[in-house]
Amino acid sequence: MLLSLLANRDGRIPLESMKTIGNRANRPRMLRCAEGVSLWLAMLMMLFVHPIYAEARAMDMEQPGQLYLMDGQNAWQQPALILDSDFSVQVSGLLAQTTLTRAFRNTSDRWLEGVFVFPLPDKATVYGLTMTVGEREVVGRIEAKASARQTYERAKAAGQHAATLEQQRPNLFTSRVANIPPGETVRVEIRYQQVLDYRQGEFELRLPTTLTPRYMPGEPVTNTESQWQSGWAVPTTQVPDAGDISPFTVRPSDVDRASHRAAIDLTIDSGLALASVTSPSHRLHVEMDGSRAQVRPEQGKVLMDRDVIVRWRPVAGSEPSAAVFHQQWQGEDYLMAMVLPPESVGPVLRRELSFVIDTSGSMAGDAITQARSALLRGLDTLRPGDTFNVIQFNSQAHALFPAAVPAQGHYLARARRYVQDLQANGGTEMAGALSLAMSMDASADEEQVRQLVFITDGAVGNEAALFDQIRSGLNNRRLFTVGIGSAPNMHFLREAARWGRGEFTAIHNSADVDQALNRLFAAMEAPVLTSLDVRWPDQGQPLTPVPARPGDLFRGTPLIQVVKGLPASGVLHVSGQLPGGRDWHVRLDLANSAPAGGLNRQWARGRIDELIDAASLQRTSPDQDYIVDLSTRHSVISPFTSFVAVEKRKARPEAEVAGSEAIPTLLPAGSQSGMLRYPQTATFGPLFTALGLVGLMFALAIAMLSRRQTL
Amino acid sequence: MSRLLLMLIGCSATALMFGLWIPFKALVAQELLTLAWAESQARQTEARPWPWADTWPVARLYIPELGASMIVLEGVHGESLAFGPGRVPAGAEGPVILAGHRDTHFKPLQFLAPGNELRLQGKDQHWQRYRVTDIRVVDSRTESIDTHALDADTLLLVTCYPFDSMDARGPLRYVVEASPVYALEQKDTVAAL
Repeated sequence: MLLSLLANRDGRIPLESMKTIGNRANRPRMLRCAEGVSLWLAMLMMLFVHPIYAEARAMDMEQPGQLYLMDGQNAWQQPALILDSDFSVQVSGLLAQTTLTRAFRNTSDRWLEGVFVFPLPDKATVYGLTMTVGEREVVGRIEAKASARQTYERAKAAGQHAATLEQQRPNLFTSRVANIPPGETVRVEIRYQQVLDYRQGEFELRLPTTLTPRYMPGEPVTNTESQWQSGWAVPTTQVPDAGDISPFTVRPSDVDRASHRAAIDLTIDSGLALASVTSPSHRLHVEMDGSRAQVRPEQGKVLMDRDVIVRWRPVAGSEPSAAVFHQQWQGEDYLMAMVLPPESVGPVLRRELSFVIDTSGSMAGDAITQARSALLRGLDTLRPGDTFNVIQFNSQAHALFPAAVPAQGHYLARARRYVQDLQANGGTEMAGALSLAMSMDASADEEQVRQLVFITDGAVGNEAALFDQIRSGLNNRRLFTVGIGSAPNMHFLREAARWGRGEFTAIHNSADVDQALNRLFAAMEAPVLTSLDVRWPDQGQPLTPVPARPGDLFRGTPLIQVVKGLPASGVLHVSGQLPGGRDWHVRLDLANSAPAGGLNRQWARGRIDELIDAASLQRTSPDQDYIVDLSTRHSVISPFTSFVAVEKRKARPEAEVAGSEAIPTLLPAGSQSGMLRYPQTATFGPLFTALGLVGLMFALAIAMLSRRQTL
Repeated sequence: MSRLLLMLIGCSATALMFGLWIPFKALVAQELLTLAWAESQARQTEARPWPWADTWPVARLYIPELGASMIVLEGVHGESLAFGPGRVPAGAEGPVILAGHRDTHFKPLQFLAPGNELRLQGKDQHWQRYRVTDIRVVDSRTESIDTHALDADTLLLVTCYPFDSMDARGPLRYVVEASPVYALEQKDTVAAL
C-alpha cells in the first residue's frame, strides 16, 4: 500500500516535467495524453512486476531442513541426470551374486558427467563393471586406483565414453560416468557377491539403496580443494575424504518422478526346502517352488530411500548346521565351510551392562524412537545381580550414573525416565562416548561379565579410528552393536562388533525391534564357543584360510571360513570350548562338498581385509603392491584398486563442453535432515539505486547537452 | 528526443525509488516492530506488527560494539527479511540461526570481529550474551548449515557476501558464529537502546 503511494508521488515528477516540455514544444493535446498514459502504464507495470519478483524470491526458502543442489543462479535445480537401478540377485548356497545395473539418463541438452556415491552391502565383493552405450558394451578392467583415475580423466577429456568405480569405504562406492550425450542413456553394470547372513536358522539379504548422511568429526580443512570432491561435507582433520563419502541428500520429491527407483529381482536357489520368505522393509511378491523362490517387490519399482531386506527360512528341522562348498578356479581349489555352534545352555552369568545410545542429529525422526525402545527392551533383560549404566552421546557424552548401579527398581525407573526423554540433536562424537564407557571403573565383582551395548546408526566418517579405539581400550569387555534406521552403516556395526568380540544386529522399523533384539540379547546371554580351533586336512604346505583366526562364536551365528589350495577330500575338524570348560568338537567330510562359484573372490576379498587389519594392528601401512596384485588377479575391488571402462571411439565433438553433475541420494525414510540451505540475504536495493542514479545522471547530461544545442 | 529523455528520466527515477524504498522500508518497519515487540513481551504472545503481516517479532539483537539494535522476525522468506533479520526455523532445540540482508539490517556485520559481543533478548526479556568465535565466508552452492553439527546454543548470523556487491543472487555467504557467554544475568539494562 505504502509502496504504491510512494511510487505515485515519485511518478508524478516525470509527468509534470513532461507537461512543461510538451507545452513548450506546442504539441497536440492527444499526443501529450498518450505520453502521459504510457509513462503511467510503464510505472504501473513495474509496480506489478515487483511483487511477483519478490514472491519468486520468497520461494527459495520454502522448505527448511532441506539441502538443494544449486546452479550458478543459486536456485534449486532438479538433477538433469535420471537414475534408474536394477538389482538382479541370484542366491545359491551361502552366496548371493548380484548384477546391479545403473542407468544414467541425461535429460539436459548438454553433455554431462554423472557422479554417484552409493552404498553396497557391507560384505560385498565387487568383481565386475560393464558399460553399455546404445548397443556397444565395454568391459571394465581393474587397475591401481591412481592409474584408473588417470585413465578415466584422460578419456573424459578426450570425449570418450568412460565409467569408473572406486571404493571409498568397504560399503561405500563412487561411480563416475563421463560424456553422457544429451538425451541419451549410459548403463553401468556392477557385479558383486556377498555372503548371506545366516543366524538362528534364518537367512537374510540386505540391499542398501541409500545412506544416512554421516557426521565428520574433526576440524574442517578447507585449503585442500580436491578436484574429485562432490559431497556437501568439507574434509576434516579426522576425515580427510569427507567430500567423497557425503553425497547430497534430498527428499524423494526433489528428484524426477522416474529417478531413484530400483527394480529388484531375487532368485533363491537354496537347496533346502523353504518355509517362508519375508521382508520387514517391503511387501513382497513371492513364487515359491520347493527349494526355489522367485521374489520381487509387490509394488514393482521401489523408492531408493531404505534398505531392502529379504529373509527366508528353511522348513523347521532342515536348518543346516554345517555345509561345505568347493570350486576350482584357474586350476586351484577353493573350499568354503560353514559350521554352527551347538545350541547349548550354559550357566546364567552375572553381567555389567553399559548401554550407549546415539542421540546425534542423524538419529532424529523414527530412528531415535526405535533406539529408545531398543534401550528400554534392553533394560527389561536385566536380572537381579546385574549392574548397568546408560550413556548417551551426541556432541558430548553423558552418563546417567557415575558408575554402574545394581539393576534394582528405583535405578531402573530412573533409567527408563531418562531414556524416554532422550532427544536427537547435535554431532556424533563417538570417540568420546567410547572412552567414557570404557573408562568406567570395573565393579569389584570379578565374576561379572562386562558388556557394552552400542545403539547407533553408525553415521560417522571416521570408522577406522573408532575400530582402533575399540580394539585398544575395550580390555575384557565385549561390544555389541544395534543398528538403527532405514539405512544404517552396516560396515561400522559389523566391524565394531568384530573388534569388540561381540555381535551385531540391525532394527529396520519399530515392528522389527522385538525380533532383532530378542536375538541379540539371547546371543548375549548365551555363553559363547571360545578357543576355536579349525583344522583343515594337512597337505604339507601352510594354508591361508580366511578369516585366519575366527573369533568367538555366539549362539546361532555360524563360523564361515574359505581356504585356498585344498582339494575336496579329507576331514575338517572344528573344536572349541563351551562355557563351563566343556570341549566341543565336530568333523566335516570335505568329500561331500557341493559345487559353488565365486569362492576364489571370497577368499581374495577376505585375504585383502586380513592384510589391512594386520597392518592397522601393527600401525603400519599395508603392502599395497601385494594387495593390488591379489585384487587384479581375482578381479576383486580393493581400497587400492578401481574398475575403469573406456570406449575407444570418441563420442563428444570437440566443440561441445561437458558439464558434471553429482547425483544426490535420497534421505532415508523416517529420518529428518539437519541440513539447512543458506537463505537468500541480499536485496536489489543497491542495484536499483545505482541504476537509477546512473540513469538520472545520464539524462541530466543529455538534457544539458540538448539545451546547449538549442541555445 | 525529449520523449526519449523523459522515458529515461522516468525509468531512472523509478529505479532509484525502488532502490531507496528498500532501505526506507527496512528502517520504518523496525520502528513499527519495536511496538509489536514491546507488546509481545508484555503479553507473551506472537504479536503481529500489522494485521496482514505473515511474520512476528521473536527476539531483539543488539551489537554493543557497533551500536546496532534490531528486532528479529520469524522466518527468512522475502517478506520477513525486508523488515528485519529473520530467524531460520531450525527446530526448538537447535542453534539460533539469524539471516538478514547485507544491504540493510546486517550491513554492520562487516565490522564485526571475533571476540565482539552480541546480545539477544528473547520474549522472556532475558538478554543472552554471545561472543563472536568465528567469521567465515562460505559458498552456498556447495555448503549447507549442518544444524546437527553445531552446538545447540550457538548463534549463527548469516548474510550475503561481498557486502558491496550489486548481484543480489550471488552464492557467497558471510557467516558469523557466536557462542554464549554465561555470566551475570543482565536484565533490561540495555533494553532501552
